Amino acid sequence: MTQTASRTVLLVDDEPAVGDVLEQYLRNEAFSVVRAADGPGAIELFERHRPDLVLLDINLPGLPGTEVLRRMRSVRDVPIILLTGRVDEVDRVVGLELGADDYVGKPFSPREVVARVKSVLRRTERREQPASSNERHVGAIAIDSLAHEVRIDGKSVTLTPTQFKILDVLLSHVGQTLTRDQLLERVSADGDVFDRTLDRHIANLRARIEPDPGSPRYIITVFGVGYKMVEPS
Amino acid sequence: MSSLVHEIRNQLAVAVANVEAFRDGVLEPTPARLTAVLNALHQVDILLREIPRGEPQR
Repeated sequence: MTQTASRTVLLVDDEPAVGDVLEQYLRNEAFSVVRAADGPGAIELFERHRPDLVLLDINLPGLPGTEVLRRMRSVRDVPIILLTGRVDEVDRVVGLELGADDYVGKPFSPREVVARVKSVLRRTERREQPASSNERHVGAIAIDSLAHEVRIDGKSVTLTPTQFKILDVLLSHVGQTLTRDQLLERVSADGDVFDRTLDRHIANLRARIEPDPGSPRYIITVFGVGYKMVEPS
Repeated sequence: MSSLVHEIRNQLAVAVANVEAFRDGVLEPTPARLTAVLNALHQVDILLREIPRGEPQR
């Protein structure tokens, strides 16, 4: 994601007269906007368009907004701003349970909403790309996703672009099991990795980074679910 | 009571967002949009009448 590329906002609100206004303000600020009016529609568009941020009314028909938020977060750590008519209830929801990035109480100023969108994007993009160093480590493996470099014990390792992406994603979620679908979703933005080839990519990646690819210490198979990157013990 | 307040805020959101958009020149105040704002304000009026007398106001 570059600074200049148009960001996509998924706007989920069942009141079209509010949605129209927010959509136009966002478009005027060069955002792309996709809209859903209920929970199931929101999930579908979320998967199809991979938005950079979600504006979510928590009071939705079809599926509670809280459930929509939980499902989106289980797929991808996307910034989410809640729109709510119940500010009294939302502190708890935002802070403790769901981890939304911000919320705006109704009635709101659309300018204010756009300002929050920009501010949350600035904050979360900083979170993704620490200013001082882009290097992350697990065990003896160091990866720099901007420079596109991988080193093991200081020695440079050559990976294919797909192997690099898989390693990058796994290393961003150390200790967390990623399902095959989650991995495919994150690795295969261009649709170039398919379910049946994921295992082969993993095997090839292990051959490059594991001291003993036969008994992996970094990329652990979670049977029936997916894969997990761990700190080697 | 809380869902009544919630619905009032929803209707106010329609009115506030649209009027602000008209002021900022972001949306044209077409007859359809002006009607939507007016309807929202009528709804607020109707909802306010449903608030029981003697209930502490928030």
